[in-house]
Amino acid sequence: MAIIERPREKVAIQGGELPEILLPTNCPGCGIGVDVSELRAHNYVCTNCGHHFRLGADVWIPLIADDGTWQERWEDVRSHDLLKWTVPKRYQEVVEELLAEGLNESVRTGTCTLDGHPIWLAAFDFGFVGGTLSIVAGERLARGMEQAASAGIPYVLVSASGGARMQEGVLALMQLAKVNAAVGRLHAAGVPYFSVLTDPTFGGTAASLALLGDINIAEPGAAIGFTGPRVIKQATYADLPPGFQSAEFQLAHGQVDMVLPRTELRPLLAHLLELHA
Amino acid sequence: MSVWEIVELARHPDRPYSLDYIRRLAPDFIELHGDRLSADDPALVGGIGTWHGRTTVFLGHQKGRTLKERVARNWGMMHPEGYRKALRLARHAAKFGFPIVSLIDTPGAYPGAGAEERGIAAAIATAIMEWFEIRVPIVAAVIGEGGSGGALGMGVADRVIMLENSIYSVASPEAAASIVWRDNTRKVEAAEQLQLTSREIIGMGVVEEVVSEPPGSASADYDAAATALDEALYRHMQPLLAQPADELLQHRYDRFRYIDSLISAEPHFGPKVD
Repeated sequence: MAIIERPREKVAIQGGELPEILLPTNCPGCGIGVDVSELRAHNYVCTNCGHHFRLGADVWIPLIADDGTWQERWEDVRSHDLLKWTVPKRYQEVVEELLAEGLNESVRTGTCTLDGHPIWLAAFDFGFVGGTLSIVAGERLARGMEQAASAGIPYVLVSASGGARMQEGVLALMQLAKVNAAVGRLHAAGVPYFSVLTDPTFGGTAASLALLGDINIAEPGAAIGFTGPRVIKQATYADLPPGFQSAEFQLAHGQVDMVLPRTELRPLLAHLLELHA
Repeated sequence: MSVWEIVELARHPDRPYSLDYIRRLAPDFIELHGDRLSADDPALVGGIGTWHGRTTVFLGHQKGRTLKERVARNWGMMHPEGYRKALRLARHAAKFGFPIVSLIDTPGAYPGAGAEERGIAAAIATAIMEWFEIRVPIVAAVIGEGGSGGALGMGVADRVIMLENSIYSVASPEAAASIVWRDNTRKVEAAEQLQLTSREIIGMGVVEEVVSEPPGSASADYDAAATALDEALYRHMQPLLAQPADELLQHRYDRFRYIDSLISAEPHFGPKVD
């Protein structure tokens, strides 16, 4: 059998220019003064201590997608205040304020290329009601997965989520089933599904699509689990050891394939796409 | 009745639990144990018995009445092993063409360190996904508490019904209060906001039927409650038994894919298809 040499050009760590984000004056990891342009060039990873700053979908999309290839889908899908939720604030008001801030629900999805490979990409936005899985999020995810499955295009997910959205009640819970059924379609079609878990990924999001990737990749230090530590302490009075539910903990317990610095993510995804092509 | 009174009824220790129903539905029920990996989860009972003349796999969250029983059953809160046991028995059902009846009665999956260490999130995720591949009819019933992902992990079915005084919720009222206000004592307010009673749930299109309970609730008359549940479960199961498996799975997919159609059909929700 011939061994085919595949010389690989170095894959850029960002697909395009990342937007500037709001940052604290000092790194929460090591306390060093933050240099915005340096951080931006390093995918918002502290060059001193490796602290990974949380990113919204507006940063994840240009980080992963080749410049100019992003085509967002179903941006107009909107949430409803179906439970007439009023406490501590009217749900409809919360949603409208976030939309006015320029966020567009907890999941944004679309197509792009990554180092030339066509992919479907979905990124959670923790800034939108804690990145909670909602009807809109579920709908965008399921539609994209169905299209990826039928077109045979690999699916890449970046999660950051507190779980299912309380304000949408049991219909938010039902999104776990809706989305997992769609993940099943990807698997049945033999379409690669790579899941990137970032800080934090919890509850219904961890208990559905985020841990069902063919390959699960976690960011260093990301908190990942089902029940949050506050609720575990309330329920069981247990003292939780340091590092409990960290990405490294999940690696040790067999839940993720690797803990990978964000500066290596894009080249790795490109390599994985090639290996599964 | 107030919402909180319904929550208390759904959780009442005199309420019939899964085994009370299963033994009435299938008096020859044989309990089977173990996930074939490492453990047996006593918070989930499973086994086989004859139901309307047909071998059927029964699964159900099981709570306990005395303190000792409650501890032994872990208050009906499953560990990862429980979901793996459920899938193992579902595969047993699929191998022999037995229909599955799943009874839901849990505050949620166990919120403890051990469950996290052994992968509770992935266990639930895998269960939810794999129920869509089980090629035999499944009917589920919420008989008490349907709490969160712990309940949904046993609740992917072709038909889902609820007993009148049961609840189904994205999170328990205590957990929701803890998440929204960081204060789990505001559970009554949370319960009212969550719309978790059977009447509210059927209004959202999430279950097919609400089964009336005997006067004074299911706690007052186990036999009458079991008869009503039996009748409703079988009425939903019967048409499924004749359905080809591919069609069954497609309908199961569509049931959950469009479960929020009452909401998403509204014009400003956005285009259904391109």
